[in-house]
Amino acid sequence: MKIKLSQIEIQTTQEKELLDITAEVEQAVKKSGVKRGMVLIVTLHTSSGIIVTEGLDCLEADVLNHLETLAPDQGHYLHNRYLEGDGRVAFNAGAHLKSILGGCHAFFPIEKGQIVKGSRQRVFFAEFDGPLARTYCIQVMGE
Amino acid sequence: MIDFHTHPLLVREMYEREPDLARIARDVFFIRNNPQPLKTFILELDVSGLERAVLLPIDARTARGCQIYSNDLIAELCRMSDRFIGFASVDPHRKSAAKDLERAIQKLKLRGLKLAPPMQEFYPNDPKLAYPIYEAAQALKIPVLFHAGMSWEPRVRSKYGQPLLLEDAAFDFPNLNIVIAHFGWPWVAEAVMLALKYPNVFLDTSCLYFDNPNDFLAFVMTKQVPLSAIEKSLRHKILFGSNYPRVEIKNMVRAVKALGLSEACQELIFAGNAKKLLGEAGR
Repeated sequence: MKIKLSQIEIQTTQEKELLDITAEVEQAVKKSGVKRGMVLIVTLHTSSGIIVTEGLDCLEADVLNHLETLAPDQGHYLHNRYLEGDGRVAFNAGAHLKSILGGCHAFFPIEKGQIVKGSRQRVFFAEFDGPLARTYCIQVMGE
Repeated sequence: MIDFHTHPLLVREMYEREPDLARIARDVFFIRNNPQPLKTFILELDVSGLERAVLLPIDARTARGCQIYSNDLIAELCRMSDRFIGFASVDPHRKSAAKDLERAIQKLKLRGLKLAPPMQEFYPNDPKLAYPIYEAAQALKIPVLFHAGMSWEPRVRSKYGQPLLLEDAAFDFPNLNIVIAHFGWPWVAEAVMLALKYPNVFLDTSCLYFDNPNDFLAFVMTKQVPLSAIEKSLRHKILFGSNYPRVEIKNMVRAVKALGLSEACQELIFAGNAKKLLGEAGR
């Protein structure tokens, strides 16, 4: 069995945004040589996410707006305190909660060297606390 | 719009130029986030709606054995983007401090002075250590920004940061513009008194010690000091500062804008007052 791991840095440019990384995932699968197996995409940050949805501006805005409704930035969170580990006061609990609600990873099957996904499904890196340089992993596993 | 209080401690490109910077950021300045590309700093300004940021070093060679950015490194970073305004820092314990400042302003083209008495371990009313620096700064016509109030860093005494210690400098150097950072928190009343009393004393907004930027700034600038006093008596004496990267610039901008100040007062806080201190008024 082959297992190929890539770590990819992505520069987000907005405080909150969805960045389409479908092409990067497809490229990683192609480069791995895996014909049959699965691919995992996971973010390495707790204030960002990996989301699968349709690639439409309106829907992308709806996703972000709804997550803001569920986990507003300006809520009263216990996380709003000085963290010795960071050397700063934390006030991004809303971003952490959006990451949990939206999810931090996605899986797809691979068959005949191609990702098996719906025609409208796109893979997005979700930024909830940008702009920042972020890292996500693509791991391709199979034979 | 200008952010008058940032520390470029997490700029990845500068870690490659100064290998000890990662350790200094982590163990001396106590900022523990991962470094970011320079582009992230620029984008942070963009999403915050700001054009420029003042970059602050701290020369603590005697007290801490290091410079939290040298003046040369600040100048180098300023050459990488016209969005940056570089300040110098000098170590008051070194006999060359005044000369070092002259070099930083005249040769490196830095535009102000940052002093952090708690980190540098000196009393800012010490005539022997501090006054030669103030004389030089006054002659060079540059503003001096002082850390004041609480210091987060372990092994750093906040007693050196009491705003009232700055009264002698304000009194004895009437042509030296002094910025009291962090509103002097928790000694807000002292800091505000100095800004009210002395034409050459200013305050910056870079304070966040608990809760979140919106709630904390509302506490300081509407409860500890009435908003009406900011609007009527202090509108020409307050500069926007974020303390990035301890606080994201965008969050502090949002917090200041949420206070309910008039558009005219906000213009002074975000731009006019900073330009005046930088000698850009009328540009």
